[in-house]
Amino acid sequence: MAELTYREAVAAGIAQEMERDERVVFLGEDVAAAGGVFKTTVGLLEKFGPCRVRDTPISEQAIVGAAMGAAMTGLRPIAEIMFSDFFGVSWDMIANEIAKARYMCAGQLALPLVIRTANGSGSRFGAQHSQSVENWVMAVPGLKVVAPSNPADVKGLLAAAVRDPDPVIFFEHKGLYATKGEVPDGEHVDRLGTAKVLRQGSDVTIVALAAMVPRALQAAQRLEKEGISATVVDLRSLVPLDTKTLLVETKKTGRLYTVEENPRLCGWGAEIASIVAEEAFYDLDGPIVRITTPHVPLPAADELEDNTVPTVERIVETVRRTAG
Amino acid sequence: MPSWNIIQAVNDALRVEMRRDPRVVVLGEDVGKFGGVFRATLGLIEEFGADRVIDTPLAEAGIVGAAIGMAMYGLRPVPEIQFSDFIYPAFDQIVNELAKLRYRSGGQYSAPVVIRTPAGGGIKGGHYHSQSPEALFIHTPGLQVIYPSNPYDAKGLLLSAIRSDDPVIFMEPKRVYRAAKGDVPEGDYTIPIGEARVVREGRGMTVIAWGAMLHEAEQAVGQLPELDAELIDLRTLWPLDIEAVVGSVSKTGRCAIVQEAPRTCGFAAEIAALVQERCFPRLEAPIARITGWDTPFPYALENDYLPLAPRILHKLRELKDYEA
Repeated sequence: MAELTYREAVAAGIAQEMERDERVVFLGEDVAAAGGVFKTTVGLLEKFGPCRVRDTPISEQAIVGAAMGAAMTGLRPIAEIMFSDFFGVSWDMIANEIAKARYMCAGQLALPLVIRTANGSGSRFGAQHSQSVENWVMAVPGLKVVAPSNPADVKGLLAAAVRDPDPVIFFEHKGLYATKGEVPDGEHVDRLGTAKVLRQGSDVTIVALAAMVPRALQAAQRLEKEGISATVVDLRSLVPLDTKTLLVETKKTGRLYTVEENPRLCGWGAEIASIVAEEAFYDLDGPIVRITTPHVPLPAADELEDNTVPTVERIVETVRRTAG
Repeated sequence: MPSWNIIQAVNDALRVEMRRDPRVVVLGEDVGKFGGVFRATLGLIEEFGADRVIDTPLAEAGIVGAAIGMAMYGLRPVPEIQFSDFIYPAFDQIVNELAKLRYRSGGQYSAPVVIRTPAGGGIKGGHYHSQSPEALFIHTPGLQVIYPSNPYDAKGLLLSAIRSDDPVIFMEPKRVYRAAKGDVPEGDYTIPIGEARVVREGRGMTVIAWGAMLHEAEQAVGQLPELDAELIDLRTLWPLDIEAVVGSVSKTGRCAIVQEAPRTCGFAAEIAALVQERCFPRLEAPIARITGWDTPFPYALENDYLPLAPRILHKLRELKDYEA
């Protein structure tokens, strides 16, 4: 085991797959010579050369469109969109073309591509560089959606995404890039569509994603001191969704909380609440509670941003107030 | 009172408001000389001239971007996106600019833009001409979303939308564009944004629908009077008339939501999550979501994809027979 940062795990994951499979290519804005605007891809150009690691113009449609064509003709492209907010500019390519290609051609073509992107808040970047847009892609049939919370999962899930035969949208959290964790030595490949139970409790179940996972864990530790025992589930993957783990862990406690960074309406918390309320109807001791960012654009001011996205304090307070 | 279809009602609303308010302009692909691909803007260019009824190139981002600029400088633009599937090339303009303008300018600017767009399946349009993407816009803070089911509501809500000081996504159900006919008052009248309509009162269960599926739900509940269903047409999706929904489900204890969009992260998920939050002790059965499937919109299998009356009826029977 080596200790890596979340950002180093990105480069390690890409390098592992590029070494293994010469069809893997990587493209995006400032990903090569500059090593990525968040320094997540440092060293890849030097190691694999400009044919396989390409700087592109500032044109998200072209990046994603080129990746689509490359995937259709036999490569395994990894495209980077610098900020997930910029998915907006290439949304037609993602939602109307990439998501549907396999279906449109009745399986004659597959699109084994990965779109990596920096998602989420915490960097004071304001309403257009801080959004959590995982629900945009979750709502589009044909896309797989991954959002890891720690370095080991970054490397393992990125490898799984590259090896998947279908398009995978891979959300890295900007606020987690500097965090550290143990990453297994040698080849590390995880499985898409699997949640992880990080902590087993008996009173409530808290489900979180990406940067909300460490907050949910901290909240659980505080709640423990107050006599509330919490299970914490790291969702890791939104599509496919690990409904089995969600249902099993909810049934054990009878109380489910979701902690979401994205806007509340029609978020993944709503989807999970709908599934669990339907399939675990008899096992719930109270309504499923969604802890989310309120329905506002994300503010840039420090204080406002900190008070908009769910905090450890808000998770603790919400659970304490409702779990009785 | 004339009996009109939805297209005629939309056309009349635009004419009424353009006569009343010189700031109102219409722009889009083929909206001028051709009168709109669905004829919704027929005759407007003759009456109001090419300065106020503007044919644009095939460039959705340009159409919406121009409308944002017009609105910032005092006009009341009503751009048309010919099919809601094509709203995606303008997605960045809508979710990252239009929706956030008031917030980002600290209230110094607003963007009173109404984007009209025919939405949904029903015309064998395949996956590029049949989607129903309302959830993505409900998910985006800063947008109002309207989806009427009949000519009377279409006219009254379109007039309210144009008079609103904030942006509106106005989705027109093309499956019933011509089929849904009804009496429409001449001249000026408005229906408030955010008010649902009880189509049929009942005590056995609450059925919630909007757009073209409202007619399918109406047909289903009409076929089986012993369901004693209360049918609610939301008309405005956001802001949601939560009082109407909660009031009805508190009375009936059972709730079904019909939506033609894919299931995952659709608006039905949001409603189900809200209903279980607000009505938990009153629920006698799990909330039923009756939706499109999580696949691209099919061409040949359109009638199997859409939640039409037979599928709705089947699910409502189950809901009625569910014993808590």
